[in-house]
Amino acid sequence: MKRLRLDQWTGQLLLARPGAASVSASAPRAVLRSTTPLSRCAAVRCQSTAAAASPSIPAQGTPEDEYIDGTDHARFPPLENLPPRATSMPSPPPSRALESAKLAALHARLALPEKLPLQTLARALVDASADPSPDFNNSTLAFVGQSLIHYHVGEYLMCRYPRLPMDILYAAMKGYAGHTTLHHVARSWGVEHAAAPGGEVDPGLLQFSMHKPGDAITGFGYQRAELKYLRKYNWRHSISSRIVFDDDFGEIVDPEAQRETLGRRTDTQYGDAFTRSLAERAYANCTRAVVGALYTHAGREPAKAFVRAHILSRHLDLSQLFAFKKPAKELSLLCAREDFEPPVARLLSETGRLSRTPVFVVGIFSGKDKLGEAAGPSLEHARAKAAMNALKSWYLYSPGEHVRVPSDMLAEEAKPWEPVHIDVGEIIGR
Amino acid sequence: METLFTRPVASCCRRLASSATRTPRPAVVLPQPPARGKATAARARRSLNIPPHPSFLNSSKTADGSSQPTEEIIYNPPESAASVYHTPVKFLPSSDPRRRANLAEILAASQPASSSSPSSSSSSSTQPSVESFPMLSKTAPALKPRHHLTKEDIEEMRRLRAEDPATNSVAALARRFDCSQLFVLMCCQAPKEHREKMKAVEEKYKARWGPRRRAAREERARRNVMLYNGEI
Repeated sequence: MKRLRLDQWTGQLLLARPGAASVSASAPRAVLRSTTPLSRCAAVRCQSTAAAASPSIPAQGTPEDEYIDGTDHARFPPLENLPPRATSMPSPPPSRALESAKLAALHARLALPEKLPLQTLARALVDASADPSPDFNNSTLAFVGQSLIHYHVGEYLMCRYPRLPMDILYAAMKGYAGHTTLHHVARSWGVEHAAAPGGEVDPGLLQFSMHKPGDAITGFGYQRAELKYLRKYNWRHSISSRIVFDDDFGEIVDPEAQRETLGRRTDTQYGDAFTRSLAERAYANCTRAVVGALYTHAGREPAKAFVRAHILSRHLDLSQLFAFKKPAKELSLLCAREDFEPPVARLLSETGRLSRTPVFVVGIFSGKDKLGEAAGPSLEHARAKAAMNALKSWYLYSPGEHVRVPSDMLAEEAKPWEPVHIDVGEIIGR
Repeated sequence: METLFTRPVASCCRRLASSATRTPRPAVVLPQPPARGKATAARARRSLNIPPHPSFLNSSKTADGSSQPTEEIIYNPPESAASVYHTPVKFLPSSDPRRRANLAEILAASQPASSSSPSSSSSSSTQPSVESFPMLSKTAPALKPRHHLTKEDIEEMRRLRAEDPATNSVAALARRFDCSQLFVLMCCQAPKEHREKMKAVEEKYKARWGPRRRAAREERARRNVMLYNGEI
């Protein structure tokens, strides 16, 4: 059998188009720009990688409606005719939304109603860092969408799992409506981003800038008076104060730190974790803005159905969010509070006690009722795990899969409201 | 309540055991321990050659008693831990409809088998009672806290601990005042020099650990952290 000479293959491929390779890739850009004749018509940089490296190309000396990006326009004619001055705008003009195939496809794919025009959908794809004007970016729509998403996720979690401790509730909120999740939602819709924002970009692409700081959308919450000391001395901030002061995820509201983070864009490198988080934020804001746009144009019920279909339908295993410190003590406190018999750990079965890998199955009983059961490699592990399982099954009590939420009452001809289960509170302070 | 946690294995084993008593083949009898120490390989293989579980056999019988192979789905899942999303009846709030739905079963299970039918009595006899499982702790927990220590007792405890923390250790005080060590720890704290001395002693012991013991201890601590985070 002959050996495969991969290096020779590559050589053949490289030899195939010697002229093309030297023109498109190997020549330095500055030289290329000076040698190519200036074209009078601008082009859409659909797949342009050159745009990423030079986001602020339009020079002062050139006329505003012509665009120089090093493309040989005689050889590659523009795909569409841009309106005049389009290239000098920070984001594509709304009129171009009707011509974008990507935008129409996204509108159809999300099954958005006719009432939501393509122009608004195009605006939902422009991040505040791409276009600072709030009349043209999605910051206002994203604020509406964020409020709606948090409201629906919050009421769903509180009615579906009425006994969740507050910190787990915050974590679950973040799991459903946090940046990362909404970023994945937007990705799953097939939203793609432009390498760099600009008026000539296809309006169906998400546009955000890595270099210009945008405005973060404001959420609800108060700036704490002791914010400086919280950071400096690492003060503890309790769950109760988080409920009052902090934002919907229980995180401290710190606009200065946020501004500082956004300001770091200007000297950012590509491809690190910070850059990725910026992209995630832009995608998440796009998702929020689509929800906000839907609410603005189609109303309350379609927006709620959209949130249900795209965000609440995601699977989040809440039992993975728990962490305990003293589960046995917590469980006995629970039993004392609820007037149950004190919990007793009993060995249900075991195997290989003297071997290297024993397995013990321990159940925790209160009176004659079993509260939890777990298997573990030692008696102590199995007991702690059984106590944790019992506590989880207490905290994860659910009245049913299809619980009614308060916003159901806003629908017309809704049945009378039956009060949901409200728990007395947490067992221990965390 | 009991129906929540029983596994089908108990009934399956019972069925197998009863079928074993009917059939003359002695190899089916379950209580026999697995044969590891047979003299020859052939005997070991023969002793381990037990028939498959009845739930894996096509045992659907027609009206005349002859069994015919039919197409059916065998559902015999392995034992697994109960899901934490399955709330025990004791944890259901009083307003929950599941409480009322299970009420008849709970009553039937809690009452003795004297008045019930023979089939239910056989099922309750196979259910081992809760007390038959051994407790992990030596003593049963007290139903009610005793509150037998007065304020003077606690002050006395504090005084003793402050006077001579070496003699009046936590365990000694717990024994003397007939309370738990946790209660002693809640009441009093040793003087600072004693704590520092004990810490120094502990450090001295730790310094004598070799690399193996240190690694084993560290691994055990890490495993505990993982356990409480629900990772293992």
